[in-house]
Amino acid sequence: MKRNQKLLAALGCILFTAYAVWDSLTHHAGRLVYPMNSYAFQPSDIPMLLALLLDLLYVFYLVCLFIRVIITQKKQVRTSNRTRRLSPKLGLLGFLGFLGFGGFWSYQALGDLTAFVFFGFFGFFGFFFEGKMSNTLMDERFQENALRAELKAYRAGFAVIFLLLLIAGQASRFKAELLAPALTSGIALAFALTLFLSEYLLYKYDHDDSAALEEE
Amino acid sequence: MDGFTCNLKTYRLLKGLTQEQLAGMVGVRRETIMRLEKAQYNPSLKLAVDISRAVEAPIESIFVFE
Repeated sequence: MKRNQKLLAALGCILFTAYAVWDSLTHHAGRLVYPMNSYAFQPSDIPMLLALLLDLLYVFYLVCLFIRVIITQKKQVRTSNRTRRLSPKLGLLGFLGFLGFGGFWSYQALGDLTAFVFFGFFGFFGFFFEGKMSNTLMDERFQENALRAELKAYRAGFAVIFLLLLIAGQASRFKAELLAPALTSGIALAFALTLFLSEYLLYKYDHDDSAALEEE
Repeated sequence: MDGFTCNLKTYRLLKGLTQEQLAGMVGVRRETIMRLEKAQYNPSLKLAVDISRAVEAPIESIFVFE
């Protein structure tokens, strides 16, 4: 499917869903939009059901596309011995980490911890550095640097988790109800730190070396 | 790197190769060759052998460990 066709398909899904929601809200008492205790099929639900089906098919298509891209990239990395091609702009996904702060609200209002997991997305800032090293030949020095960077990143991550456990163990004596959100957000942040540091340190080791030598 | 001397630059120039060309011949990046010439990187045995073959010089003359 070409780029224009993909955009048209996405636009079609959005427009059809918007129409179906409008139709449901204005002509059929908001069936399928408002929460229902039980569902019984009515012919008037057909546009909404079709919209849902279309959306599901589109999401399924996107997931397949994503998996295909990952497999292709892995094959390319194996055969060419070069790092995967990635845009540094993907680092912007790291801003999704700020959604983790929503956890403070959702935990208080609904008792739900899920939003804290979003802190893990801070690690995606590492894509910025990975993108800068896109399509780099992975020679033995690069692989050595990658191992060094990963080792340091894992050490930092484990140190954070260890500190968190120590603090949590002590804090649980005073406020046990804070344990779950503190551990969830802490582990998500440790994950993000590890993800980010492994890319950042690799870039630093590799790039600083080269820059210093160029200057000489 | 203490006790490590690298004479790669001399042999590379004798052979009339640029860093880029040598890097291409042995399958590494130019930065790696630069670091080797500054004796700031300790190569694997395979890379050392590949370089020795590329510049047609004995391995022990290129990489000297005291």
